[in-house]
Amino acid sequence: MMTALLILHGLLAVALLGAVTHQAFAATARRGELRTRSFFARFRATDAAAYRNAVVVLFSAVMIVGAILYPRYRFLVRPILQTQDLRSANGAFELKEHFSAIGMMVLPAYWAFWKQPLSPEYESARVWLTWIVALIVWWNFVVGQLLVAIKGLFL
Amino acid sequence: MKVHGRLILFSLAAPIAYTLAYYFDWSLFQYYVSEGRIHFSPLPASAGPPILWYGWLATAGLAGGAIACAAPRRLIARLSPELPWLIPVAALLAALIYEMRWFL
Repeated sequence: MMTALLILHGLLAVALLGAVTHQAFAATARRGELRTRSFFARFRATDAAAYRNAVVVLFSAVMIVGAILYPRYRFLVRPILQTQDLRSANGAFELKEHFSAIGMMVLPAYWAFWKQPLSPEYESARVWLTWIVALIVWWNFVVGQLLVAIKGLFL
Repeated sequence: MKVHGRLILFSLAAPIAYTLAYYFDWSLFQYYVSEGRIHFSPLPASAGPPILWYGWLATAGLAGGAIACAAPRRLIARLSPELPWLIPVAALLAALIYEMRWFL
């Protein structure tokens, strides 16, 4: 059951990573750039507002599954990190915890700012919040993957 | 603030409340892994280490929700459009500084 949940957590995180990265790059695209045919221009040439609900639903789902898995991490993985004195790994996970919580709490504002019709007054807040959510998702994804593989990597 | 002012206010208040909750250990409850139960007051050390994170989330959610519901509309209308990203950035930096002890 827990293994299935861990895999689900990872798969949902991959989907979230894709959605929020596309949105963050699309939100910062310059007008002229979208007409060029470079890889980045094509990557950015997407309707950023269309990702709003997907990001909110996926972030919430990843967070809920992560919260269910968390006691198992505390019971099985954290003691190994402590006995092996892997302080950085422990700290990285503590940050993942805080970043997830802060990310979850900014989602209502993120959702409001991306609601159509987009208000030009809040463009900078919209772009900044999207990048904040994207950075949180990237940090959490990388730390999560490293911790899952920590036995093979460091022990 | 024209767009969903109370949602935005929640996103301002809750990260601040969360930062205060973990800094001052204002956990609404503790979850004891070995017992698999929630307790509203701390148990002796023999009960094993508790998980405080759920309690911090609950504290922040309740505080953020209460502030967002109770704030007068005039105050919400006067919020700067820069605050909704400045506060989360400050909260992330505070978390980085707080957890720096693991990396030194």
